[in-house]
Parts: sequence; C-alpha cells; structure tokens
Amino acid sequence: MTPLTCDQVMKQFFAYLDRALSGEPLDQIEEHLEECLSCCDKLAFSRTVDAFVKARVPEGKVPEGLESRVRQALERAVGRE
Amino acid sequence: MTEAEGVRSSTEGGISAAPDIAVRHRFEQLALPHLDRLFRLAVRLTGTVQDAEDLVQETYVKALRAFAALRESEAVGAWLRQILTRLVFDRHRTEPREMLVGDLEELDRFSLYDLVWDEDPLPYSDNLHGDFLAQFDDEEVRRALLALPEAYRVPLVLLYAEELSYREMAEMLEVPLGTIMSRLHRGRKILERELWECAKRRGLVRSWDR
Repeated sequence: MTPLTCDQVMKQFFAYLDRALSGEPLDQIEEHLEECLSCCDKLAFSRTVDAFVKARVPEGKVPEGLESRVRQALERAVGRE
Repeated sequence: MTEAEGVRSSTEGGISAAPDIAVRHRFEQLALPHLDRLFRLAVRLTGTVQDAEDLVQETYVKALRAFAALRESEAVGAWLRQILTRLVFDRHRTEPREMLVGDLEELDRFSLYDLVWDEDPLPYSDNLHGDFLAQFDDEEVRRALLALPEAYRVPLVLLYAEELSYREMAEMLEVPLGTIMSRLHRGRKILERELWECAKRRGLVRSWDR
C-alpha cells in the first residue's frame, strides 16, 4: 500500500469524516493519520465546524393553518385541470 | 430495495391525467400525515418559514399530479421528501448561482484551519480554532449556509439534518455517488470561505486577501 501525502488525504478528507470510505482508501487514510499530527488536528477542526454548523441549521415551527392552506392549494390544483 | 429506490420510478415523468376528487382525498389521507416533517425539511433547505410554506405547497401539488404513478403507498413519506428536495436541488440548473463558487482549484486549496493558524486572530487563546468559531453568532452561521448554491447546500443539509448516507443522497437526488462526494467536499470549503469572509467583515481578522 503506497503511503498518502497530506494533499492526497485532504482530497478525501470529508468522505473520511462522513464514514463514506471503506477498504483500501480507508486503510490508507487511517495509516496516514497514525503518523500525521497536522492532519489529525485538521480533522478535529473539521469535525468541530460540522457540529457547529449542524447545530445552527435553520429550524422553524409549523405555522398555524398550514394543513388547511395545503388542502386549499390541492383543491385549486384539481379545479384547474 | 431502499426507500429511495422504491419511489424513484414514480417521480420520473410522473405527470398523470387530472386527479379527481376521490383521488385527491386518498392522496390527502396518505400524504398529509407527513406535512410536519416535510415542513421542517423545507425550512432547513430554504431558511425561512414563508419560503418553506411555498415549497411545501408546490411539493404537494406536484405530488398530487404524479400520485397515480406512485406504486408503493407505504413509501409516500420518502417520495414526498424526494420531490421537495429535488425542487430545491434542481433550481441551480436554471439559475447561474454555480458561478459564485469561482475557481475550483483555488477553492480546493482553501483551508480555514490554516488561515486561522497563520493569522492567529486570538493570540492569548489556548483553543485558537474553537475560540475563533465561538465568535460567530447563530444568524451569521445560518447566513453562510444559506449563501451556498443549492447544488452544495442541499447535500449538506441532507447530511446534517437528515443524516442521509452518500448512497441515499445519490439515490434521492439521482446523481452519481462521486458527485455527492465532491459536492459535500466543496460545499464545506465554500462554507469555510464564507465564515472567513464574515470574520473579515466583522474585523475579527485582518482583511487583506491571501
């Protein structure tokens, strides 16, 4: 197995973070991370950014009357055809 | 067969003849129980309650028209989420927002970690990167996420909020797995760049360009 450079690791960095890798690509990255503190720090930071943004994804309460407005839209859609 | 595979055939070219009242009632019975979850997904994808409501209505009307082609009524929730998500995801094909991404090679080289390290905006911090992030308020982060072109924002929201796997996203959005991989990679890079630009505007870091 050819050792990866940091730049090569960076290309698959987020796929690794998202657990989307398996087999040789995964083994190569894990082997690199065992030796490379800098990539480990970058990985930890990206995990932090992910959690930070994830906790701030927009949220909103379902507005009152939404279901009846959807029913009206459906009624209009049927009526038009 | 996954949920997404189960509903795929029914969203392809599924415009049927005009639905009558009995069909509409049957559709409402099956589809309206999913309204709250759909609405929450719509807010995450659009960022505002009003845009989310418009998107949800558009989704239901589109779904009603394609209802006759739905083969598995138990998969209606996944089918509705797919229609809604595709309505947002496909917008980029008619809008030039992709242009905002700029030079992709330059984007791939961008590293917020390195910039924060080099600029050292908080010289007395013993948790430099964490403290850098802590300076943003929630609204700034949301704006950075919503500033992403749909092609990048939709997969990121599906990852963060719906916790879909790459494969599930590829099936839902009907794009190759490699496309999902690169959109999630570059989407995060653009997001990091937006946060850096925001930090510069706020005077958190010196504002010369690198």
